Amino acid sequence: MEMTFKRSIHELPAIVAATDLFFSERRTDPALRLPVDLSIEELFVNMVKYNQDTGHDITLRLDWIGDAVEISLTDYDVEPYDPTRVPDIDVDAPLAARQPGGMGLYLVSKMVDAIHYEYRNRESKVTFTKRMAQDHA
Amino acid sequence: MLDIRYGEDRQVLLVGRLDAAQAATAQAFLDEVAPPCVIDAGGLEYISSAGLGVLLKTHKRLAASGSGIRLINVNPHVHDVFRYSGMDKLFSVTCST
Repeated sequence: MEMTFKRSIHELPAIVAATDLFFSERRTDPALRLPVDLSIEELFVNMVKYNQDTGHDITLRLDWIGDAVEISLTDYDVEPYDPTRVPDIDVDAPLAARQPGGMGLYLVSKMVDAIHYEYRNRESKVTFTKRMAQDHA
Repeated sequence: MLDIRYGEDRQVLLVGRLDAAQAATAQAFLDEVAPPCVIDAGGLEYISSAGLGVLLKTHKRLAASGSGIRLINVNPHVHDVFRYSGMDKLFSVTCST
């Protein structure tokens, strides 16, 4: 399934609705939706916030690969920015050293099974996979 | 969608999805909350880093006056997000199970 979304955080409800539709095709453990939703949101919001010199919509693609879901987000006419190379945050830092922000891509790295970035012809594409336990009840 | 309001005993009820689109709404509400701040997150289905940022900012504000925030009834999947981010080391996050 492939859809495009405007460059706005107000598109998030529509993204959730599209993801709901995609997952309705199969019985999956609802608990595994949170890491998928979180990863899509963090990567989408990152593109919206940091690629402000383009007006192109962002493409979201979702595919089943066996029991795993493969999801990609593509941003067009942008400078390269590899979200897989962001430094880890110090989760043991004291309160005074912790700041709101900067946690999103770290959480993605912890919650997905694999993540890949490619940049070609001014297109930034990030793809992640997450294994989804099947509910056969 | 997100619903944030006062419940019984002035606890803050947090219900729905606390994402980047709802963070400003949640922050505006929590900016007006006085200590002690107990947040019943039993109805919180989802939180992203934007939501964590709202809670961290609120905790910092209230911790400056000797209090802070306390989350109760957090569902296990949402609790994972607090654990991965280390937020559960900064303020009390009690799981619902």
